[in-house]
Amino acid sequence: MELDMVRYLSKLAKLDFTDEELEQAVGDMTSIIGIMDTIKDIDITYDPYKDNHNVYLEDLRKDEPMPSLPTDKLLQNAVNQDGCFVVPKVVE
Amino acid sequence: MSVSDYIPVIGLEIHSELLTKSKVFCTCSAEFGGEKNTRCCPVCSGLPGTLPIINQTAVEYAIKAGYALGCEISKFSVWDRKNYFYPDLPKAYQISELYYPICLEGAVPIEYEENGEKKTKTIRINHIHLEEDAGKLVHDDLNGVSLCDYNRCGVPLVEIVTEPDMRSPEEARTLVETIALLLQYAGVSDCKMEEGSIRADVNISLMPKGATEFGTRAEIKNVNSLKSIYRTIEYEIKRQAQILDRGGKVIQETRRFDANKGETKSMRTKEDAHDYKYFPDPDILQVNLRDEDLERIKASLPEMPKERTAKYIGMGIPEKEAKIIVSDKLISDFFEDTLKAYNNPKSLVNFINGEIMRRINLGEIDMTAPAFDAVNVAKLVEMSDTEKVSKNDAKEIFREMAEKGGNPEEIAKNRGMLIVTDTSKVLEVIESVIAANEKAVNQYKSGDVKVFGFLMGQCSKSLRGAATPKVIKEELEKKLASL
Amino acid sequence: MVELTITELRKKLDSKEISAAELTQAYLDRIDAVDGKLESYITVTPEKALAAAEKAQKSIDEGNATPLCGIPMAIKDNICTEGVLTTASSRMLENFIPPYNATVMEKLDNAGAVTLGKVSMDEFAMGGSTQTSYFKKTKNPFDLSRVPGGSSGGSAAAVGADLCAAALGSDTGGSIRQPAAFCGVTGLKPTYGRVSRYGLIAFASSLDQIGPVARSAEDCALILNTIAGYDFHDGTVSKLPVPDFTEKIGMDMKGIKIGVVSDFFAEGVDDEVRQSVLSAIDSYKAMGAEIIECSMPSLKYAIAAYYLISSAEASSNLARYDGIKYGHRADVAGSYSDLIVASRSEGFGDEVKRRILLGNYALSSGYYDAYYGKAMGLKQKIREEYAHIFEKCDLIITPTAPTVAYGTNENIDDPKKMYQADFCTVTVNIASLPAISTPCGYNKDGMPIGMSVVGKMWDESLVIGAADAFEKNFARQGAKL
Repeated sequence: MELDMVRYLSKLAKLDFTDEELEQAVGDMTSIIGIMDTIKDIDITYDPYKDNHNVYLEDLRKDEPMPSLPTDKLLQNAVNQDGCFVVPKVVE
Repeated sequence: MSVSDYIPVIGLEIHSELLTKSKVFCTCSAEFGGEKNTRCCPVCSGLPGTLPIINQTAVEYAIKAGYALGCEISKFSVWDRKNYFYPDLPKAYQISELYYPICLEGAVPIEYEENGEKKTKTIRINHIHLEEDAGKLVHDDLNGVSLCDYNRCGVPLVEIVTEPDMRSPEEARTLVETIALLLQYAGVSDCKMEEGSIRADVNISLMPKGATEFGTRAEIKNVNSLKSIYRTIEYEIKRQAQILDRGGKVIQETRRFDANKGETKSMRTKEDAHDYKYFPDPDILQVNLRDEDLERIKASLPEMPKERTAKYIGMGIPEKEAKIIVSDKLISDFFEDTLKAYNNPKSLVNFINGEIMRRINLGEIDMTAPAFDAVNVAKLVEMSDTEKVSKNDAKEIFREMAEKGGNPEEIAKNRGMLIVTDTSKVLEVIESVIAANEKAVNQYKSGDVKVFGFLMGQCSKSLRGAATPKVIKEELEKKLASL
Repeated sequence: MVELTITELRKKLDSKEISAAELTQAYLDRIDAVDGKLESYITVTPEKALAAAEKAQKSIDEGNATPLCGIPMAIKDNICTEGVLTTASSRMLENFIPPYNATVMEKLDNAGAVTLGKVSMDEFAMGGSTQTSYFKKTKNPFDLSRVPGGSSGGSAAAVGADLCAAALGSDTGGSIRQPAAFCGVTGLKPTYGRVSRYGLIAFASSLDQIGPVARSAEDCALILNTIAGYDFHDGTVSKLPVPDFTEKIGMDMKGIKIGVVSDFFAEGVDDEVRQSVLSAIDSYKAMGAEIIECSMPSLKYAIAAYYLISSAEASSNLARYDGIKYGHRADVAGSYSDLIVASRSEGFGDEVKRRILLGNYALSSGYYDAYYGKAMGLKQKIREEYAHIFEKCDLIITPTAPTVAYGTNENIDDPKKMYQADFCTVTVNIASLPAISTPCGYNKDGMPIGMSVVGKMWDESLVIGAADAFEKNFARQGAKL
């Protein structure tokens, strides 16, 4: 796997690597992709119809609201302000 | 070339929130509003370990939306994850349907006017899928932070994806208006632009007249009013035409409409890699629909605008009036209710399209929560028709009803507007008018019939509210003839 | 008494020979004495445990004790416990206090089980050694220089070292069975959809399943009886009726058809392990079971399919960790993107990052069909091959792991070697099957060897019954710690 690909994937994944880590990651990923490439010699596709678990409309949840979580419990693990989760200012 | 040398090619992705009681993947209330983060639970706020559980009604409503827009319904649908990072999306993926959406091809006929000319067209629907809404960000400029409110996270949405069949801002606006109306009639969405319950992404490109191949398109995200949709398209046509005129190329990108400036702006940020990496959501099993489920849902679809218009025309209401009534579901439903209490469609339509519409347009009436009810309006119209109140007094009575509600009979009685025909009183008044106006009576008897109006006026003055002019006239003529 | 099975403890509790509080205290004392060396617990909750024991004692005194009432258990640290730190062994969740309980916790609490604390694991359950834990790199109770296996290494080590009567683990590609084998205990991975995943911090949603680690197959059955069944909060849990999983305890193996898939004994499997499992198969034969040779042509693709599917799902499941709503929040100024990139880069360990990169690769446009799509196709093919085998067999027996527990410094730095070691276990998850690992021997160094009994979907009872039949004739050795 090329350095550029690892860089691209890390951007997609919102991960940051130092140059040294990046070099290590390229080596690791190349080796891992080596194992994954064993599937290259088989021609097969996924058929979602085969994964059908026979779930029908009546098996789904009824539309009945239930109490929500108290806001303080919702926010108990977060930096919060005015009953909200706080993030750096998002410029749209 | 000028703007008129290009043909705009427009497609829309219309997002409309569904009116379920609970959210699509959890049991929190899906109602609009609420104190920030009070309609959230571990599931919709994306806590580790939580799982989505599909709301049956959300699926049914999506199917109804499909039927309302003439779609074919798929008997097998699969939920996918659309992965991206944004602070209003707590799981960092949106559950949606990409590969196996619930509704397939459909078609929506539109009618609109262009340069005073009436036009019709059919816009094809590519598909409709069900997905979850994201939360909201509130910006705190003082502290330089944004605040996340997840109340809206997980409210069910249908995304209606059209084919690029529209060729003018008017067509696009009309389509959104038409779809909003159809969804309202289907009972699946209230389509309130101001609450963000319907909004659209606009895809637009230009091609020179005579060309057959579409140009490169721009996507303008999240346009949230009919007016903005119109202005967005107008602006983009100008912008893209200018680029093309200069020999430039339109960039395929996502843009945002700034309603204050009336402009669109690129939303691209330099650092972001873009790939939604859709894949089937392993937490949700595929949903199967049987013929009988679909038949039941189709049968449960309420009367749609087309059927209602035809019904009203069948009642003898002029087409134009019928369409006005039908174009607002709240009004049309109100009309239906008045009909149950007083079966005189023409008269009711006259009153509704006249007096009620006038006050709505003045902003005096909010039809989502009117002070009056249908039964009392029906009664009022009937009273006016049977001359229990005068036409003018009926309007006056309605003004009070629009403000405070109430029963028209009581209002008329309290305000002395009720016409109760009391023949003995009529005769008594006529006797006294004749006695007091001997000269005029004699003039009349000698053939000067013009003076009848004067005598009639004298009687009416004293009989206000006690008899209809018709009765007074008849009795007065009878009396004068007998002298 | 800390070394007894649940069945044995039940008798002592019900006969009032010991009280629930005494039993709980005995485990707490042993944790104090031993866990400094073993490093299995991330969090111990003595007050909560003793309070639960008091409550359990009341039920016992009233004669209302259910099988797990008063039984002290350890819980893998990826199962959410309301009000108790739940880290998934990651720095990312170093401070995460769940505001809700996993469904299995509700069920255990209602059954009167006593939770002693939360045990270590590989970070986000990614690994087979428990050495990727940010907190406790648990050791093997048979040899502290070796790994306990993983990812449920804390669960297996705590049971093996008598620091709890039983434990809950989770199994995505062997994460209950392999550590059970390494630590000389019994671990059951139920059929996918048997136990609610609500509250289990997701690694790979289509493969994850919670299950018990205990001292016997019968103990596993008792725990499964308590935690199995339909759950409103998990749409992938089956609505099938839940049997009494002890129904085949003491069964006769006569006429039971056991499949032996040669591919599982091929190259890469340690000789001592192979011999030990084959001789276990011989003893089943001696009990009257019929042995049937089978093959699984797609096994050679299983590792790739497993890592592609599990990493793809993980890359999406772990995207929610951004430091905003919970967990490690980096101390950086800058944009939203800067904050989450820093939080994630600091919060996740190397192995987790590798899996996230692999998952992003497998799902990214241009590679989706070649990797994720194909892996999903292979998943269906492997299921079909199992279905074919189960047309003629009732059970399949395989080694649980190709080797015994290795040294804490081996393997874990070489992802390729580490991944390949999972080939015995991953197909069971891919095919949603139930499987139990139970000790079947010890190597020349005295390290435990495990074999896996794999059954048809929903056939846990037979899997448990067969393991029990072997256990009854097997001299299990305890760890000396």
